[in-house]
Amino acid sequence: MSVLDVLRIMVVDDHISSRMVTVEALQQMGVKHISVAKDGREAFTKLNAEPVHLAISDLYMPDIDGFQLLRAIRAHPKLGKTGFIILTGRKDATVVQNAVKLGVNNVIAKPFTPDVLKKSIESVVGRLN
Amino acid sequence: MTINKIPIVQGDFAVSDVEGTVISTVLGSCVAACIYDPLTRVGGMNHFLLPGNPDRDGSDQSRRYGVYLMEMLLNGLFQKGAARSRLQVKLFGGARVLDARSDAGAKNSEFAKNFVINEGLMLVSSSLGGPQGRRIEFEPCTGKARQKFIGTAVPEPEPKKISRELESVGDVDFF
Repeated sequence: MSVLDVLRIMVVDDHISSRMVTVEALQQMGVKHISVAKDGREAFTKLNAEPVHLAISDLYMPDIDGFQLLRAIRAHPKLGKTGFIILTGRKDATVVQNAVKLGVNNVIAKPFTPDVLKKSIESVVGRLN
Repeated sequence: MTINKIPIVQGDFAVSDVEGTVISTVLGSCVAACIYDPLTRVGGMNHFLLPGNPDRDGSDQSRRYGVYLMEMLLNGLFQKGAARSRLQVKLFGGARVLDARSDAGAKNSEFAKNFVINEGLMLVSSSLGGPQGRRIEFEPCTGKARQKFIGTAVPEPEPKKISRELESVGDVDFF
């Protein structure tokens, strides 16, 4: 059994099209367990019911954004160690610094290639295959 | 009233809620989406081209470039107070401008229309495809878009007189 068979990833993005791009890239990598959420609030509710190994979240979202979601996860006794990758259209130094302060595992600039996404995931969870 | 002109190029986007602003671009096979919220009177335009080649690993995720620019534009509008449910979208471009085997214009147009449907946005008008490039001017505070056809990209052995006439009727207002 490989990592890909057990790895659980949640994709959080308010734009359906962006979610689809990320989910498809994950499917092409061979990730079998993928869940989705349309914003930070939905993600946090779903994670409470069904935790994942890694959350890949957009930064800018209405209501609860990527930073707030990350903060909530890190402060949660059971979800605290969930891997967290932030996707952002503007990967400037401030975004990266703030993300690191909050305990992010990686930051990816959009638009990303499937290759970049894979390397970024592997830096958090180890080799996929 | 002073007119504030913002020209944008491929891979670019602009959002404004300042009266008198005009965002402009010139399109060939690229597509521009003009998006407007009539309540907050904020609007914006992007200009994107999906790359024609599949990724190195063989997957064709090229639409991520379009998704990125649509998302940047929408997020820019939301930050200025626009609401998704009120947004009106106009699409322009996607011309078949090169004598190429793959119709990049059609691919860009198809992507843009699918994006609007998938995101549940309201498409109020579109001018896509055809052999000619377009110059687009968009007023982000009124939602008015104006397009002018510019020449035929595929050289055709037509008398100059006729093509001039074509240009003069190519001025269309979209409201």
